Amino acid sequence: MSASVTACTALFVRDIRNVIRSRSQLYSSMFTPLLFLVFLGNGVSEGLQPSNLSAGNFTAYLVAGAVVMTSVFSSTFSSAAYYRDRDTGVLRMLLSSPHSPRLIILGKSLAGVAIGLTQALVVLLVAAPFVEFEWQYGIARGLLIAIATVLLLNLLLAGIAQAVASRIQTMQGFHLVLNLLLFPLLFFSGAFFPIDDLPAWLGVLARVNPLTYAVDALQLAAYADSSADFIGLGIDFVVLTVLAVGVYALGLARMPKLTWSGQ
Amino acid sequence: MPETPVPAAIEARDIVRSYGERRALDHFTLDVPAGSVFGLLGPNGSGKSTFITLVAAAEQPPSGTLRILGEQPHAALRARIGTVFQENAQDPLMRVGELLQLAGRLFGLSRKQATARAAELLEVFGLGGRANDPVSALSGGMRRRLEMARALLHDPELLLLDEPTTGVDPEERRALWDALLHGARGRRTILLATNDLAEADEVCEQVAFIQAGRVVATGTPEELKRGLRREAVRLTWEGVTDDEISKIAAWPGTGDVTRSGNLVHVTVDDASVFVPRVFELGGHAIRSVTIEQSSLEDAYFQYVSGRTPREVRA
Repeated sequence: MSASVTACTALFVRDIRNVIRSRSQLYSSMFTPLLFLVFLGNGVSEGLQPSNLSAGNFTAYLVAGAVVMTSVFSSTFSSAAYYRDRDTGVLRMLLSSPHSPRLIILGKSLAGVAIGLTQALVVLLVAAPFVEFEWQYGIARGLLIAIATVLLLNLLLAGIAQAVASRIQTMQGFHLVLNLLLFPLLFFSGAFFPIDDLPAWLGVLARVNPLTYAVDALQLAAYADSSADFIGLGIDFVVLTVLAVGVYALGLARMPKLTWSGQ
Repeated sequence: MPETPVPAAIEARDIVRSYGERRALDHFTLDVPAGSVFGLLGPNGSGKSTFITLVAAAEQPPSGTLRILGEQPHAALRARIGTVFQENAQDPLMRVGELLQLAGRLFGLSRKQATARAAELLEVFGLGGRANDPVSALSGGMRRRLEMARALLHDPELLLLDEPTTGVDPEERRALWDALLHGARGRRTILLATNDLAEADEVCEQVAFIQAGRVVATGTPEELKRGLRREAVRLTWEGVTDDEISKIAAWPGTGDVTRSGNLVHVTVDDASVFVPRVFELGGHAIRSVTIEQSSLEDAYFQYVSGRTPREVRA
């Protein structure tokens, strides 16, 4: 194994282990989306009885949004680890090793992607037995589509979070910027309501929102019984792949340097 | 036989480095001989940490030249350098053994090598049996020792220590230095940035005084102390006359001369030159002589408090 792969793997393992030890981070990313499913999903399904949804079951509809929300929370928490490393001096130790800063950040962000992927899939698998999913492509293929979608989504989110982290000095500022950036995207992504009948201006925003394509692909994989009224897996994957690769590369473009303060 | 010059582990020439308006290194020039324990002494903000970090990063400075271990700076050189930063670089969520394992893997050791070396160094630094303890469970002194073990894990040729014993009690400090210098003299170059002049006097073979990003004096601690007119000679001189006082005051290398009855106090460049000469003049009338040695602290204050910069070399 080359020295770079060894170093990257060591960092990956270390960050995964840290998240497992940090129980609050481990559970909170999944707990909030699951609460949305249980309370908002059942409340709206029973109390408002939405008629626009094909299956008439808002909880099942909401699962794709909950999976995306989990990824958003997870990527935010994982990228915040960058600040912990900086503040504890660990980043300086990592940067004083013979490896490039890009490799250091790559190892750390891949751990974040793996954690986000796992947590999002846990939410999907926990929710699946309690809602009526159609699995129009079959369960195995549907799960593969979901895994691929969540992987691309987490790469995209890791890229966004890293790009923000490399430009914002404080963790508080980082959380503020990410919340301002990602939560509006979540609201008009189709995570909580279908985007077809939205006012024109909101519909346009939804179409330029990368999260829309992740929600669409997840709904097609598990919730939907046909592709009608959806964007389609082909477009979803093209958009997600291009954005994931581009934004992840952008996130790795601006690297920290070894300085006296480690910033 | 002519002495073979010792190659420099670090050669810095005319380095300028600025942070915004502030010039952290200002035409900084220094040679650190290979295999030596070399001290960088200067007030806070004088440029010590900036220089240490520049070397730790093995980065070509924006202006001036730097050679490390005989090579131009490049990333792979960092594998031959160990660094103890001013503040610990430790993740409280990790265990002691995991931290060392991570450092070992980053510096190219195999898992087995890293484990064996970590166990060896934990013993050397008095942390044997603590490999499974969380880093957060260690005391401040233990964490500092862990930091040293971490920096030495890959057996670096050059060890950079930025105020390594800050906050460490004297007993622990002694143990730290014993462990650090164990088998290292002549084999590993140690560059120590510190504000602790007594520590530098004790462990460093050579020191440089830094002020405002410049080297204002270099030499061995003894050379720097000799360069001072700070040795004080107290004489008990029966019947000393004003003429004799005037004579010694006129000698080269003599500073202030004060007299109170038979007691004469003289500051001199070098007591070993002054004392025989004063005996030639005073003979048996001089009843006693006391010489107070100057310390590295005296030298530090002379060079760093704004006197004329000069290089002191043997």
